[in-house]
Amino acid sequence: MTGTVDDLVGLLDTAGLTGRGGAAFSTAVKVRAAHDHGAHLLVNACDGEVGAVKDAHVVAHHLDELVRGAVLVTGGRRQRSVRFAAHRGSDTALALHRAGLDVLDVPDRYVSSEETALISLAGGGLARPMTKRRPFVTGGRDQAGRRVPATVVLNAETVWRVAQVAERGPAWFRSFGTAAEPGPRLVALTGAVDRPGVLDTEAGVPLADLLDAARPAHGWEHAVVGGLGGVLLTADEARGLHWTGADLARFGGSVGPGVVDVLDPARCPLGTVTSFLLYAAGETAGQCGPCMFGVPSVAEAWRRLVETPSRQGVDEVRAAAGLLPGRGACRFPDGVGRFAASALRVLEPHLAAHASGTCPTRRSTHRVPHR
Amino acid sequence: MGASLWYLSRATGVASIVLLTAVVVLGALVSGRRRPHGEQATVVMAVHRWLSLGMVVFLVAHVATAVGETYVNIDLVSVVVPFTSGYETVWVGLGTLAVDVLVAVLVTSWWRHRLPERAWRAVHYAAYLLWPAALVHGLVLGTSDEPLLLGVTVLAGAAGTAAVLWRLLARPHHDRARRDVVLGQEWT
Repeated sequence: MTGTVDDLVGLLDTAGLTGRGGAAFSTAVKVRAAHDHGAHLLVNACDGEVGAVKDAHVVAHHLDELVRGAVLVTGGRRQRSVRFAAHRGSDTALALHRAGLDVLDVPDRYVSSEETALISLAGGGLARPMTKRRPFVTGGRDQAGRRVPATVVLNAETVWRVAQVAERGPAWFRSFGTAAEPGPRLVALTGAVDRPGVLDTEAGVPLADLLDAARPAHGWEHAVVGGLGGVLLTADEARGLHWTGADLARFGGSVGPGVVDVLDPARCPLGTVTSFLLYAAGETAGQCGPCMFGVPSVAEAWRRLVETPSRQGVDEVRAAAGLLPGRGACRFPDGVGRFAASALRVLEPHLAAHASGTCPTRRSTHRVPHR
Repeated sequence: MGASLWYLSRATGVASIVLLTAVVVLGALVSGRRRPHGEQATVVMAVHRWLSLGMVVFLVAHVATAVGETYVNIDLVSVVVPFTSGYETVWVGLGTLAVDVLVAVLVTSWWRHRLPERAWRAVHYAAYLLWPAALVHGLVLGTSDEPLLLGVTVLAGAAGTAAVLWRLLARPHHDRARRDVVLGQEWT
């Protein structure tokens, strides 16, 4: 049976499959570690990022392959459990329950779908992130010192791709995407588009093609790539780049969990960003300072800036956002800091117009923006 | 000779009580929910630490003279083992107990960087046992027949009690309060 494991890890390594949940870590390495430590598998189908729907897509359309992938990952000598995590009451959870699978019902909270939060919940704790003293795939302890069994968390799309690689081979997998980011990947298009949905595409395609397929609203100006942990881009920037990590990195972003959210051109983007940040402020896990106080203070600084735009206000948001990265147990504050910084950069002209008493949104569309 | 040592022992004993009380008051100030911030906190913490070591000098003198003087019989064993003194077994024993706990508090603080925070904290809480034990020991043995010494000890008791109450009666820190609010939300 060990041969099967080595075969699978070899296939995944050759294929170059990386985690599709956002972190893009090597799946071969994780599966190898999971086998070495007899880790339980948690399939993350929460679609935790704002605007994400691709996990739901995988469960709705590729459930058989998803389950096959999960069995492949946990195959081996030791019997290990497989659980599918989805937000309680979601269609995804319902579909998983109907299929008779072991479902971990997760509260509909932003940080609850983070991998260590899922591990905590699966162990009977609260769905809040835990400090990673070492990777939980080797087992570990929570803050209270209770033992946490070895657990590996893989995104639903990743597990589905594992089944695909095993069935169709690494060569088929590598015929998609780029050398740096091989393989097919899902991208969700949402927001002010006529055809929202999930595209089965690949790295390297022009983002303009993906956007055109979804038919964005006429006169759209901004899009959020990667949700709350992503970046705000202008329409020109978005249209000009290819769907690769390198292109998105030029704007501080990443392919992330594959979410492109076109902002409603009839609504003032400052207000939209305010809603994003206020939502973030309410989603704190109440454990680390940057999350508990830092994220709300970024939201508050942004709200003040929108009320009375000023040079000083911009500096305050930048300073507050700059304090967030690399300090929490999870990457939630990092993501919010990145998002706020990108909003400052992209909306500078818009803020300048507000400072002189006009909103470009109002002028171009003759509609009162709603907050 | 014997009498002067006896007086020296009483004097260093009362000085130890006063200094110990100051350390307890400062400790209650820096550990409570209303603890000072920034430079103020650094100063208070430093005084708390160094004053406790300064107090040890007086305490060592107090114990050494108490054993050394010949007016009453206190042997070396009762320096370490509580309630073994031939003279005033209970009240000398309280002093011994306080010394033992103090040694534990000092050693764990010295090795704090090598200990789990919880272990250090648990031992440090024993200071709330140490201080009243030392106070009662002083009140009964050393000061009861001297209005001035009695007054000093009673004042020390009042000051320490006020500091501890100040710590206990503080409203929740905003950090604690926020944690509790978030914890009350849906997490399972």
